[in-house]
Amino acid sequence: MIQFFRHVVPGTVVVLFFLFFFPLHLTAVEAGEYIAIRKEGSGNIALVLDRLGADGKKESRFAQGIDTVMHDGLDFTGLFSLISPPLNVKDNSDGKHVAINFGALTSVGAEVYAGGVVTMKSNLFNLNMEVYEASGSKLLFKKTYTGKEGELRSIGHAFCADLVELLTGKRSVFGSKIVFVSNKTGCKEIYECDFDGQELEQLTNSRSISMNPTLSPDGRHLAYIDFTSGRSTLYIRNLAERKIAAVAKSGVSIDPGWRSNSEVAATLSFDGSQGIYLIKTDGSISRRITNSKSIDISPTFSPDGSKMAFVSSRNGLPQIFVEDLQSGEVKRLTFSGRYNTQPSWSPIGDKIAYTTWEKSGEINIFVINADGTGLVQLTQKCGENKSPCWSPDGEMIVFTSNRQGKEKMYVMNSKGGKERLLLQGDGEQTQPSWSLFR
Amino acid sequence: MKTMKPLLRSLVIPSMLFLGACCCANEVVVAPPPPPPPPVKVVLPGLGDVFYDFDRSELRADAITQLKTNANWIQANSSNNVIIEGHCDERGTSEYNLALGERRANSARDYIVNLGVAPVRLKTVSYGEEKPFADGHNEEAWAQNRRARFVAE
Repeated sequence: MIQFFRHVVPGTVVVLFFLFFFPLHLTAVEAGEYIAIRKEGSGNIALVLDRLGADGKKESRFAQGIDTVMHDGLDFTGLFSLISPPLNVKDNSDGKHVAINFGALTSVGAEVYAGGVVTMKSNLFNLNMEVYEASGSKLLFKKTYTGKEGELRSIGHAFCADLVELLTGKRSVFGSKIVFVSNKTGCKEIYECDFDGQELEQLTNSRSISMNPTLSPDGRHLAYIDFTSGRSTLYIRNLAERKIAAVAKSGVSIDPGWRSNSEVAATLSFDGSQGIYLIKTDGSISRRITNSKSIDISPTFSPDGSKMAFVSSRNGLPQIFVEDLQSGEVKRLTFSGRYNTQPSWSPIGDKIAYTTWEKSGEINIFVINADGTGLVQLTQKCGENKSPCWSPDGEMIVFTSNRQGKEKMYVMNSKGGKERLLLQGDGEQTQPSWSLFR
Repeated sequence: MKTMKPLLRSLVIPSMLFLGACCCANEVVVAPPPPPPPPVKVVLPGLGDVFYDFDRSELRADAITQLKTNANWIQANSSNNVIIEGHCDERGTSEYNLALGERRANSARDYIVNLGVAPVRLKTVSYGEEKPFADGHNEEAWAQNRRARFVAE
Protein backbone atom coordinates (compact mmCIF):
# COMPACT_ATOMS: atom_id res chain seq x y z
CA MET A 1 0.00 0.00 0.00
CA ILE A 2 2.77 2.40 0.93
CA GLN A 3 4.59 1.39 -2.23
CA PHE A 4 1.43 2.09 -4.19
CA PHE A 5 1.13 5.60 -2.80
CA ARG A 6 4.76 6.36 -3.27
CA HIS A 7 4.53 5.62 -6.98
CA VAL A 8 1.03 6.49 -7.99
CA VAL A 9 0.20 9.58 -5.96
CA PRO A 10 3.03 11.82 -7.18
CA GLY A 11 2.37 10.67 -10.74
CA THR A 12 -1.31 11.44 -10.34
CA VAL A 13 -0.54 14.89 -9.00
CA VAL A 14 1.68 15.60 -11.97
CA VAL A 15 -0.96 14.34 -14.41
CA LEU A 16 -3.62 16.44 -12.76
CA PHE A 17 -1.29 19.44 -12.83
CA PHE A 18 -0.68 19.09 -16.55
CA LEU A 19 -4.34 18.37 -17.28
CA PHE A 20 -5.24 21.50 -15.40
CA PHE A 21 -2.79 23.73 -17.25
CA PHE A 22 -2.89 22.08 -20.66
CA PRO A 23 -6.40 20.65 -20.81
CA LEU A 24 -6.82 20.42 -24.55
CA HIS A 25 -3.93 18.62 -26.11
CA LEU A 26 -2.10 16.62 -23.55
CA THR A 27 -2.71 12.92 -23.73
CA ALA A 28 0.08 11.22 -21.86
CA VAL A 29 2.39 12.56 -19.22
CA GLU A 30 4.57 10.93 -16.66
CA ALA A 31 7.07 13.61 -16.01
CA GLY A 32 7.75 13.52 -12.28
CA GLU A 33 10.19 10.65 -12.28
CA TYR A 34 12.19 12.06 -15.13
CA ILE A 35 12.81 15.37 -13.40
CA ALA A 36 14.07 13.48 -10.35
CA ILE A 37 16.58 11.55 -12.45
CA ARG A 38 17.84 14.75 -14.11
CA LYS A 39 18.41 16.57 -10.85
CA GLU A 40 20.85 13.94 -9.70
CA GLY A 41 22.82 14.05 -12.92
CA SER A 42 24.87 17.03 -13.97
CA GLY A 43 25.79 18.49 -17.32
CA ASN A 44 23.69 18.85 -20.41
CA ILE A 45 20.75 16.70 -21.44
CA ALA A 46 21.70 14.58 -24.46
CA LEU A 47 18.80 15.20 -26.82
CA VAL A 48 17.98 13.92 -30.27
CA LEU A 49 15.63 16.41 -31.90
CA ASP A 50 14.44 14.47 -34.92
CA ARG A 51 13.50 16.05 -38.24
CA LEU A 52 9.77 16.67 -38.29
CA GLY A 53 7.67 14.55 -40.57
CA ALA A 54 5.46 16.35 -43.10
CA ASP A 55 3.46 15.54 -46.23
CA GLY A 56 2.88 18.24 -48.79
CA LYS A 57 4.80 21.36 -49.81
CA LYS A 58 3.39 23.81 -47.29
CA GLU A 59 3.68 21.36 -44.45
CA SER A 60 7.30 20.58 -45.33
CA ARG A 61 8.24 24.24 -45.49
CA PHE A 62 6.56 24.89 -42.15
CA ALA A 63 8.24 21.84 -40.63
CA GLN A 64 11.65 23.06 -41.79
CA GLY A 65 11.02 26.47 -40.25
CA ILE A 66 9.90 24.93 -36.96
CA ASP A 67 12.94 22.62 -37.01
CA THR A 68 15.24 25.64 -37.14
CA VAL A 69 13.32 27.58 -34.48
CA MET A 70 13.31 24.63 -32.06
CA HIS A 71 16.94 23.72 -32.72
CA ASP A 72 18.15 27.31 -32.24
CA GLY A 73 15.91 27.78 -29.21
CA LEU A 74 17.03 24.64 -27.39
CA ASP A 75 20.65 25.35 -28.29
CA PHE A 76 20.27 28.89 -26.85
CA THR A 77 19.29 27.56 -23.43
CA GLY A 78 22.64 25.81 -23.06
CA LEU A 79 20.84 22.98 -21.27
CA PHE A 80 21.12 20.45 -24.08
CA SER A 81 23.71 18.57 -26.04
CA LEU A 82 21.91 18.29 -29.35
CA ILE A 83 22.81 15.02 -31.09
CA SER A 84 22.07 14.59 -34.80
CA PRO A 85 19.45 11.90 -35.29
CA PRO A 86 21.06 8.60 -36.31
CA LEU A 87 20.18 7.54 -39.87
CA ASN A 88 18.27 4.49 -38.67
CA VAL A 89 16.31 6.32 -35.95
CA LYS A 90 13.05 5.50 -37.73
CA ASP A 91 12.35 1.80 -38.10
CA ASN A 92 9.69 0.56 -40.48
CA SER A 93 11.08 -2.91 -41.00
CA ASP A 94 7.65 -4.46 -40.69
CA GLY A 95 6.57 -2.30 -43.66
CA LYS A 96 3.43 -1.08 -41.91
CA HIS A 97 4.10 1.68 -39.41
CA VAL A 98 7.13 3.65 -38.40
CA ALA A 99 8.59 2.95 -34.98
CA ILE A 100 11.36 4.77 -33.14
CA ASN A 101 14.57 2.77 -33.01
CA PHE A 102 15.49 3.22 -29.36
CA GLY A 103 18.51 0.99 -29.72
CA ALA A 104 19.98 3.41 -32.26
CA LEU A 105 19.24 6.31 -29.92
CA THR A 106 20.98 4.82 -26.91
CA SER A 107 23.97 3.82 -29.03
CA VAL A 108 24.61 7.48 -29.92
CA GLY A 109 24.31 8.44 -26.25
CA ALA A 110 20.87 10.08 -26.40
CA GLU A 111 18.93 10.41 -23.14
CA VAL A 112 15.84 11.98 -24.64
CA TYR A 113 14.23 11.79 -28.07
CA ALA A 114 11.84 14.45 -29.39
CA GLY A 115 10.10 14.14 -32.71
CA GLY A 116 6.89 15.03 -34.38
CA VAL A 117 4.72 15.56 -37.43
CA VAL A 118 3.31 18.67 -39.06
CA THR A 119 -0.18 18.48 -40.56
CA MET A 120 -2.47 21.14 -41.96
CA LYS A 121 -6.16 21.71 -41.55
CA SER A 122 -8.09 24.72 -42.90
CA ASN A 123 -5.00 26.99 -43.09
CA LEU A 124 -3.91 26.08 -39.57
CA PHE A 125 -0.80 24.05 -38.90
CA ASN A 126 -0.76 21.33 -36.29
CA LEU A 127 2.54 20.34 -34.75
CA ASN A 128 2.16 16.97 -33.00
CA MET A 129 5.15 16.44 -30.73
CA GLU A 130 6.22 13.39 -28.76
CA VAL A 131 9.05 13.11 -26.26
CA TYR A 132 10.51 9.75 -25.22
CA GLU A 133 13.05 8.64 -22.72
CA ALA A 134 15.64 6.93 -24.92
CA SER A 135 16.73 4.17 -22.55
CA GLY A 136 13.31 3.09 -21.29
CA SER A 137 11.54 3.88 -24.58
CA LYS A 138 8.90 5.47 -22.42
CA LEU A 139 6.60 8.25 -23.70
CA LEU A 140 7.21 11.27 -21.46
CA PHE A 141 5.11 13.86 -23.20
CA LYS A 142 2.74 14.30 -26.10
CA LYS A 143 1.12 17.52 -27.20
CA THR A 144 -0.36 19.22 -30.26
CA TYR A 145 0.47 22.86 -30.99
CA THR A 146 -1.72 24.77 -33.41
CA GLY A 147 -1.10 28.05 -35.21
CA LYS A 148 -0.87 30.07 -38.40
CA GLU A 149 2.01 30.22 -40.83
CA GLY A 150 3.40 33.41 -39.28
CA GLU A 151 3.49 31.95 -35.78
CA LEU A 152 6.51 29.72 -36.38
CA ARG A 153 8.51 31.18 -33.52
CA SER A 154 5.77 31.14 -30.92
CA ILE A 155 4.75 27.56 -31.81
CA GLY A 156 8.32 26.28 -31.85
CA HIS A 157 9.14 28.07 -28.61
CA ALA A 158 5.96 26.79 -26.93
CA PHE A 159 7.26 23.26 -27.42
CA CYS A 160 10.77 24.26 -26.29
CA ALA A 161 9.29 25.79 -23.12
CA ASP A 162 7.28 22.62 -22.39
CA LEU A 163 10.32 20.43 -23.01
CA VAL A 164 12.57 22.45 -20.68
CA GLU A 165 9.93 22.47 -17.94
CA LEU A 166 9.34 18.75 -18.40
CA LEU A 167 13.02 17.88 -18.11
CA THR A 168 14.21 20.42 -15.54
CA GLY A 169 11.05 21.18 -13.57
CA LYS A 170 11.78 24.90 -13.98
CA ARG A 171 10.32 27.64 -16.11
CA SER A 172 12.38 28.53 -19.14
CA VAL A 173 13.53 31.64 -21.00
CA PHE A 174 11.10 31.09 -23.88
CA GLY A 175 8.69 34.00 -24.23
CA SER A 176 10.79 36.32 -22.06
CA LYS A 177 11.98 39.73 -23.27
CA ILE A 178 15.08 41.85 -22.84
CA VAL A 179 14.81 45.65 -22.64
CA PHE A 180 17.94 47.72 -23.15
CA VAL A 181 19.34 51.09 -24.25
CA SER A 182 20.79 51.73 -27.70
CA ASN A 183 22.22 54.94 -29.17
CA LYS A 184 21.90 53.83 -32.79
CA THR A 185 19.67 56.81 -33.69
CA GLY A 186 22.16 59.22 -32.13
CA CYS A 187 20.12 59.43 -28.90
CA LYS A 188 19.89 56.90 -26.12
CA GLU A 189 16.48 55.24 -26.57
CA ILE A 190 14.94 52.12 -25.05
CA TYR A 191 14.41 48.98 -27.11
CA GLU A 192 12.99 45.53 -26.51
CA CYS A 193 13.89 42.20 -28.07
CA ASP A 194 13.05 38.55 -27.47
CA PHE A 195 15.32 36.53 -25.16
CA ASP A 196 17.37 35.44 -28.18
CA GLY A 197 17.88 38.92 -29.65
CA GLN A 198 15.13 38.56 -32.28
CA GLU A 199 11.99 40.71 -32.81
CA LEU A 200 13.60 44.08 -32.06
CA GLU A 201 11.23 46.92 -31.18
CA GLN A 202 11.88 50.57 -30.23
CA LEU A 203 9.96 51.56 -27.07
CA THR A 204 10.90 55.22 -26.59
CA ASN A 205 11.42 58.04 -29.07
CA SER A 206 12.15 60.92 -26.71
CA ARG A 207 15.26 62.14 -28.58
CA SER A 208 16.68 62.96 -25.19
CA ILE A 209 18.52 60.49 -22.92
CA SER A 210 16.64 57.36 -21.82
CA MET A 211 18.27 54.92 -19.41
CA ASN A 212 17.97 51.92 -17.08
CA PRO A 213 14.80 50.25 -18.43
CA THR A 214 13.31 47.42 -16.38
CA LEU A 215 10.09 45.43 -16.79
CA SER A 216 7.88 44.53 -13.83
CA PRO A 217 7.76 40.78 -13.05
CA ASP A 218 4.37 40.46 -14.79
CA GLY A 219 5.58 42.47 -17.77
CA ARG A 220 2.80 45.02 -17.49
CA HIS A 221 4.92 48.02 -16.52
CA LEU A 222 8.18 49.45 -17.83
CA ALA A 223 10.14 51.66 -15.45
CA TYR A 224 12.93 53.82 -16.90
CA ILE A 225 14.83 57.07 -16.52
CA ASP A 226 14.44 59.84 -19.09
CA PHE A 227 15.83 63.38 -19.43
CA THR A 228 13.00 64.89 -21.53
CA SER A 229 11.95 67.12 -18.63
CA GLY A 230 15.47 68.57 -18.43
CA ARG A 231 16.57 66.35 -15.55
CA SER A 232 16.64 62.62 -14.93
CA THR A 233 13.07 61.59 -14.17
CA LEU A 234 11.65 58.15 -13.36
CA TYR A 235 8.75 57.13 -15.57
CA ILE A 236 6.48 54.12 -15.07
CA ARG A 237 4.71 53.15 -18.27
CA ASN A 238 1.68 50.87 -18.31
CA LEU A 239 2.42 49.05 -21.57
CA ALA A 240 -1.11 47.82 -22.33
CA GLU A 241 -2.97 51.01 -21.44
CA ARG A 242 -0.23 53.32 -22.74
CA LYS A 243 -0.38 55.41 -19.56
CA ILE A 244 2.78 56.99 -18.16
CA ALA A 245 3.34 58.15 -14.58
CA ALA A 246 6.22 60.52 -13.80
CA VAL A 247 7.75 60.24 -10.34
CA ALA A 248 9.05 63.12 -8.14
CA LYS A 249 8.81 66.78 -9.11
CA SER A 250 12.41 67.71 -8.41
CA GLY A 251 15.86 66.31 -7.89
CA VAL A 252 17.48 63.31 -9.53
CA SER A 253 16.00 59.84 -10.25
CA ILE A 254 18.34 56.88 -10.65
CA ASP A 255 18.22 53.20 -11.71
CA PRO A 256 14.84 51.62 -10.85
CA GLY A 257 14.46 47.98 -9.74
CA TRP A 258 11.16 46.11 -9.23
CA ARG A 259 10.31 44.64 -5.84
CA SER A 260 6.97 43.18 -6.96
CA ASN A 261 4.36 43.77 -9.66
CA SER A 262 3.06 46.76 -7.72
CA GLU A 263 6.23 48.34 -6.32
CA VAL A 264 9.43 49.62 -7.87
CA ALA A 265 12.40 51.09 -6.00
CA ALA A 266 14.69 53.90 -7.18
CA THR A 267 17.01 56.57 -5.84
CA LEU A 268 15.28 59.96 -5.60
CA SER A 269 16.42 63.28 -4.11
CA PHE A 270 13.26 65.41 -4.16
CA ASP A 271 13.44 66.02 -0.41
CA GLY A 272 17.00 67.35 -0.56
CA SER A 273 19.03 64.20 0.08
CA GLN A 274 19.49 61.10 -2.06
CA GLY A 275 17.83 57.92 -0.84
CA ILE A 276 16.17 54.76 -2.16
CA TYR A 277 12.36 54.90 -2.14
CA LEU A 278 9.61 52.37 -2.82
CA ILE A 279 7.20 53.71 -5.41
CA LYS A 280 3.79 52.46 -6.57
CA THR A 281 2.97 51.95 -10.24
CA ASP A 282 0.83 55.11 -10.28
CA GLY A 283 3.99 57.07 -9.43
CA SER A 284 3.12 57.78 -5.79
CA ILE A 285 5.77 57.27 -3.11
CA SER A 286 5.30 54.38 -0.63
CA ARG A 287 8.24 55.01 1.68
CA ARG A 288 11.95 55.74 1.95
CA ILE A 289 14.10 52.66 2.64
CA THR A 290 17.69 53.96 2.89
CA ASN A 291 18.90 56.79 5.10
CA SER A 292 22.64 57.21 4.75
CA LYS A 293 24.44 60.43 3.86
CA SER A 294 26.26 58.61 1.08
CA ILE A 295 25.28 57.48 -2.42
CA ASP A 296 22.74 54.62 -2.27
CA ILE A 297 21.65 53.33 -5.69
CA SER A 298 20.67 50.34 -7.86
CA PRO A 299 18.14 48.39 -5.75
CA THR A 300 17.55 44.72 -6.65
CA PHE A 301 15.35 42.39 -4.62
CA SER A 302 15.30 38.80 -3.41
CA PRO A 303 12.54 36.76 -5.11
CA ASP A 304 10.23 37.16 -2.08
CA GLY A 305 10.89 40.91 -1.87
CA SER A 306 12.05 40.73 1.76
CA LYS A 307 15.68 41.71 1.09
CA MET A 308 17.29 44.34 -1.11
CA ALA A 309 20.83 44.40 -2.46
CA PHE A 310 22.06 47.86 -3.44
CA VAL A 311 25.16 49.94 -4.03
CA SER A 312 26.38 52.28 -1.33
CA SER A 313 29.42 54.54 -0.94
CA ARG A 314 28.94 54.68 2.85
CA ASN A 315 32.37 53.10 3.39
CA GLY A 316 34.15 55.14 0.68
CA LEU A 317 34.21 53.68 -2.80
CA PRO A 318 30.98 51.91 -3.82
CA GLN A 319 30.28 48.42 -2.48
CA ILE A 320 27.25 46.11 -2.49
CA PHE A 321 25.13 45.96 0.68
CA VAL A 322 22.06 43.89 1.59
CA GLU A 323 19.18 45.37 3.59
CA ASP A 324 16.48 43.39 5.38
CA LEU A 325 13.39 45.46 4.66
CA GLN A 326 11.52 44.29 7.76
CA SER A 327 14.21 45.01 10.32
CA GLY A 328 16.04 47.70 8.36
CA GLU A 329 19.32 45.93 9.13
CA VAL A 330 22.04 46.56 6.53
CA LYS A 331 25.03 44.27 5.97
CA ARG A 332 27.96 44.78 3.63
CA LEU A 333 28.06 41.96 1.05
CA THR A 334 31.24 42.56 -0.98
CA PHE A 335 34.73 42.85 0.50
CA SER A 336 36.75 41.89 -2.56
CA GLY A 337 37.28 44.51 -5.28
CA ARG A 338 37.56 48.26 -4.77
CA TYR A 339 34.60 49.51 -6.86
CA ASN A 340 31.60 47.18 -6.92
CA THR A 341 28.31 48.22 -8.51
CA GLN A 342 25.32 47.00 -10.59
CA PRO A 343 23.96 44.17 -8.42
CA SER A 344 21.34 41.80 -9.89
CA TRP A 345 19.55 39.32 -7.61
CA SER A 346 18.80 35.98 -9.28
CA PRO A 347 15.04 35.47 -9.68
CA ILE A 348 15.27 31.83 -8.62
CA GLY A 349 17.76 31.80 -5.79
CA ASP A 350 20.00 33.61 -3.42
CA LYS A 351 22.78 34.54 -5.83
CA ILE A 352 23.71 38.10 -6.70
CA ALA A 353 25.66 39.10 -9.81
CA TYR A 354 27.56 42.40 -9.85
CA THR A 355 30.47 44.18 -11.54
CA THR A 356 33.90 45.03 -10.20
CA TRP A 357 35.95 47.83 -11.71
CA GLU A 358 39.46 46.49 -11.37
CA LYS A 359 42.77 48.33 -11.03
CA SER A 360 43.76 47.08 -14.49
CA GLY A 361 40.86 49.09 -15.97
CA GLU A 362 38.86 45.96 -16.74
CA ILE A 363 35.31 45.73 -15.49
CA ASN A 364 34.36 42.15 -14.66
CA ILE A 365 31.24 40.29 -13.62
CA PHE A 366 31.16 38.28 -10.39
CA VAL A 367 28.51 36.17 -8.68
CA ILE A 368 28.25 35.85 -4.90
CA ASN A 369 25.76 34.14 -2.59
CA ALA A 370 23.45 36.50 -0.73
CA ASP A 371 25.18 35.46 2.52
CA GLY A 372 28.56 36.59 1.18
CA THR A 373 29.99 33.12 0.47
CA GLY A 374 30.84 31.44 -2.82
CA LEU A 375 32.38 34.32 -4.78
CA VAL A 376 32.94 33.37 -8.45
CA GLN A 377 34.43 35.47 -11.25
CA LEU A 378 32.54 35.04 -14.54
CA THR A 379 34.42 37.28 -16.99
CA GLN A 380 38.10 38.09 -17.36
CA LYS A 381 40.59 39.65 -19.76
CA CYS A 382 37.97 40.96 -22.16
CA GLY A 383 37.62 44.69 -21.52
CA GLU A 384 34.64 46.21 -19.77
CA ASN A 385 31.78 43.84 -18.92
CA LYS A 386 28.81 45.62 -17.38
CA SER A 387 25.17 45.51 -16.29
CA PRO A 388 24.66 41.79 -15.57
CA CYS A 389 21.04 40.66 -15.35
CA TRP A 390 19.72 37.13 -14.81
CA SER A 391 17.43 35.22 -17.14
CA PRO A 392 14.05 34.29 -15.61
CA ASP A 393 15.22 30.69 -15.07
CA GLY A 394 18.46 31.84 -13.40
CA GLU A 395 20.46 29.76 -15.89
CA MET A 396 21.86 32.66 -17.92
CA ILE A 397 23.11 36.21 -17.55
CA VAL A 398 22.79 38.99 -20.11
CA PHE A 399 25.45 41.71 -19.93
CA THR A 400 27.27 44.22 -22.11
CA SER A 401 30.88 44.08 -23.21
CA ASN A 402 33.22 46.21 -25.32
CA ARG A 403 35.43 43.19 -26.08
CA GLN A 404 34.96 43.70 -29.82
CA GLY A 405 35.07 47.51 -29.81
CA LYS A 406 31.60 48.98 -29.32
CA GLU A 407 29.60 48.02 -26.26
CA LYS A 408 27.16 45.22 -27.21
CA MET A 409 24.89 42.77 -25.40
CA TYR A 410 26.14 39.25 -24.71
CA VAL A 411 24.72 36.25 -22.88
CA MET A 412 26.55 33.58 -20.89
CA ASN A 413 25.53 30.77 -18.62
CA SER A 414 25.47 31.27 -14.86
CA LYS A 415 28.97 29.78 -14.53
CA GLY A 416 30.48 32.21 -17.07
CA GLY A 417 30.62 29.75 -19.96
CA LYS A 418 29.15 29.84 -23.46
CA GLU A 419 29.55 33.60 -23.88
CA ARG A 420 28.05 34.85 -27.13
CA LEU A 421 26.90 38.06 -28.81
CA LEU A 422 23.13 38.48 -28.47
CA LEU A 423 22.31 41.14 -31.02
CA GLN A 424 24.09 42.69 -34.00
CA GLY A 425 23.19 46.22 -35.06
CA ASP A 426 24.48 49.76 -35.19
CA GLY A 427 25.49 51.82 -32.21
CA GLU A 428 26.15 50.76 -28.66
CA GLN A 429 23.85 48.64 -26.52
CA THR A 430 23.81 49.21 -22.76
CA GLN A 431 21.90 48.41 -19.56
CA PRO A 432 20.01 45.23 -20.56
CA SER A 433 17.29 43.96 -18.24
CA TRP A 434 15.73 40.50 -18.65
CA SER A 435 12.01 40.16 -17.94
CA LEU A 436 10.48 37.46 -15.78
CA PHE A 437 7.13 37.18 -17.51
CA ARG A 438 6.17 34.90 -20.36
CA MET B 1 -21.40 99.61 -76.63
CA LYS B 2 -17.71 100.11 -77.41
CA THR B 3 -17.32 102.28 -74.38
CA MET B 4 -18.90 99.58 -72.15
CA LYS B 5 -16.12 97.00 -72.71
CA PRO B 6 -13.28 98.82 -70.98
CA LEU B 7 -15.71 99.83 -68.27
CA LEU B 8 -16.72 96.19 -67.64
CA ARG B 9 -13.09 95.12 -67.75
CA SER B 10 -12.20 97.74 -65.22
CA LEU B 11 -14.98 96.44 -62.96
CA VAL B 12 -14.24 92.72 -63.42
CA ILE B 13 -10.56 92.92 -62.52
CA PRO B 14 -10.99 94.71 -59.17
CA SER B 15 -13.89 92.43 -58.25
CA MET B 16 -11.73 89.34 -58.91
CA LEU B 17 -8.95 90.81 -56.85
CA PHE B 18 -11.44 91.56 -54.09
CA LEU B 19 -12.74 87.97 -54.07
CA GLY B 20 -9.21 86.62 -54.13
CA ALA B 21 -8.25 88.84 -51.25
CA CYS B 22 -11.22 87.57 -49.26
CA CYS B 23 -10.13 83.95 -49.76
CA CYS B 24 -6.57 84.78 -48.80
CA ALA B 25 -7.79 86.68 -45.77
CA ASN B 26 -9.46 83.53 -44.51
CA GLU B 27 -6.22 81.56 -44.68
CA VAL B 28 -4.26 84.28 -42.99
CA VAL B 29 -6.64 84.22 -40.02
CA VAL B 30 -6.27 80.44 -39.63
CA ALA B 31 -2.47 80.45 -39.65
CA PRO B 32 -1.13 80.14 -36.07
CA PRO B 33 1.22 82.75 -34.67
CA PRO B 34 4.89 81.75 -34.84
CA PRO B 35 6.08 79.99 -31.67
CA PRO B 36 8.10 82.18 -29.32
CA PRO B 37 11.85 81.67 -29.78
CA PRO B 38 13.37 79.28 -27.20
CA PRO B 39 15.13 81.06 -24.34
CA VAL B 40 18.75 81.63 -25.24
CA LYS B 41 21.22 80.38 -22.67
CA VAL B 42 24.48 82.31 -22.56
CA VAL B 43 27.57 81.62 -20.55
CA LEU B 44 28.76 85.11 -19.68
CA PRO B 45 32.35 85.95 -18.77
CA GLY B 46 32.95 85.75 -15.08
CA LEU B 47 30.78 82.71 -14.63
CA GLY B 48 33.12 79.73 -14.77
CA ASP B 49 32.98 75.97 -14.27
CA VAL B 50 34.54 74.21 -11.30
CA PHE B 51 36.38 70.90 -11.40
CA TYR B 52 36.57 67.87 -9.12
CA ASP B 53 38.83 64.98 -8.24
CA PHE B 54 37.91 61.42 -9.18
CA ASP B 55 34.86 60.05 -7.31
CA ARG B 56 34.74 63.26 -5.25
CA SER B 57 32.17 65.97 -4.80
CA GLU B 58 34.20 67.95 -2.24
CA LEU B 59 35.42 71.36 -3.42
CA ARG B 60 39.11 71.83 -4.26
CA ALA B 61 40.97 75.12 -3.56
CA ASP B 62 40.75 76.15 -7.24
CA ALA B 63 37.01 75.45 -7.17
CA ILE B 64 36.50 77.72 -4.18
CA THR B 65 38.27 80.62 -5.94
CA GLN B 66 36.04 80.16 -8.98
CA LEU B 67 32.89 79.84 -6.89
CA LYS B 68 33.62 83.18 -5.20
CA THR B 69 33.89 84.77 -8.66
CA ASN B 70 30.64 83.05 -9.68
CA ALA B 71 28.85 84.27 -6.55
CA ASN B 72 29.92 87.86 -7.27
CA TRP B 73 28.73 87.55 -10.85
CA ILE B 74 25.35 86.18 -9.81
CA GLN B 75 24.90 88.96 -7.24
CA ALA B 76 25.81 91.55 -9.88
CA ASN B 77 23.49 90.09 -12.53
CA SER B 78 20.24 89.93 -10.65
CA SER B 79 18.15 89.41 -13.80
CA ASN B 80 19.77 86.02 -14.47
CA ASN B 81 19.05 82.78 -12.71
CA VAL B 82 21.67 80.09 -12.92
CA ILE B 83 21.59 76.35 -13.64
CA ILE B 84 24.41 74.31 -12.12
CA GLU B 85 25.01 71.09 -14.06
CA GLY B 86 26.89 68.21 -12.40
CA HIS B 87 29.06 66.14 -14.75
CA CYS B 88 31.32 63.09 -14.36
CA ASP B 89 33.98 61.36 -16.39
CA GLU B 90 33.13 58.17 -18.24
CA ARG B 91 34.71 55.83 -15.69
CA GLY B 92 32.63 53.96 -13.19
CA THR B 93 29.02 53.11 -13.97
CA SER B 94 26.48 55.51 -15.40
CA GLU B 95 24.00 55.00 -12.51
CA TYR B 96 26.66 55.82 -9.91
CA ASN B 97 27.80 58.84 -11.90
CA LEU B 98 24.25 60.21 -12.04
CA ALA B 99 24.26 60.26 -8.23
CA LEU B 100 27.80 61.68 -8.08
CA GLY B 101 26.93 64.42 -10.59
CA GLU B 102 24.10 65.63 -8.38
CA ARG B 103 26.47 65.76 -5.39
CA ARG B 104 28.91 67.88 -7.37
CA ALA B 105 26.20 70.32 -8.45
CA ASN B 106 24.90 70.47 -4.87
CA SER B 107 28.33 71.10 -3.31
CA ALA B 108 28.86 74.05 -5.68
CA ARG B 109 25.35 75.37 -5.00
CA ASP B 110 25.68 75.05 -1.23
CA TYR B 111 28.94 76.98 -1.27
CA ILE B 112 27.58 79.99 -3.14
CA VAL B 113 24.37 79.96 -1.10
CA ASN B 114 26.62 80.27 1.97
CA LEU B 115 28.21 83.30 0.29
CA GLY B 116 24.80 84.95 0.25
CA VAL B 117 23.23 84.03 -3.11
CA ALA B 118 19.47 83.40 -2.84
CA PRO B 119 18.77 79.67 -3.31
CA VAL B 120 15.74 80.44 -5.53
CA ARG B 121 18.06 81.78 -8.20
CA LEU B 122 19.92 78.47 -8.48
CA LYS B 123 18.77 75.22 -10.07
CA THR B 124 20.81 72.01 -10.15
CA VAL B 125 20.72 69.11 -12.60
CA SER B 126 22.92 66.02 -12.89
CA TYR B 127 23.93 64.63 -16.26
CA GLY B 128 26.27 62.03 -14.79
CA GLU B 129 28.57 60.84 -17.58
CA GLU B 130 25.97 61.43 -20.31
CA LYS B 131 27.24 64.77 -21.68
CA PRO B 132 31.05 64.79 -21.68
CA PHE B 133 32.92 67.95 -22.77
CA ALA B 134 36.09 66.19 -23.90
CA ASP B 135 35.87 62.97 -25.91
CA GLY B 136 39.21 61.39 -25.04
CA HIS B 137 39.72 58.33 -22.87
CA ASN B 138 42.59 59.66 -20.77
CA GLU B 139 43.10 61.66 -17.57
CA GLU B 140 43.28 64.93 -19.52
CA ALA B 141 39.77 64.40 -20.88
CA TRP B 142 38.44 62.92 -17.64
CA ALA B 143 39.67 65.92 -15.62
CA GLN B 144 37.76 68.21 -18.02
CA ASN B 145 34.61 66.14 -17.63
CA ARG B 146 34.50 66.08 -13.82
CA ARG B 147 32.87 69.47 -13.43
CA ALA B 148 30.01 71.60 -12.24
CA ARG B 149 28.99 73.75 -15.15
CA PHE B 150 27.39 77.17 -14.54
CA VAL B 151 24.81 78.22 -17.13
CA ALA B 152 23.04 81.61 -16.93
CA GLU B 153 19.36 81.57 -17.90
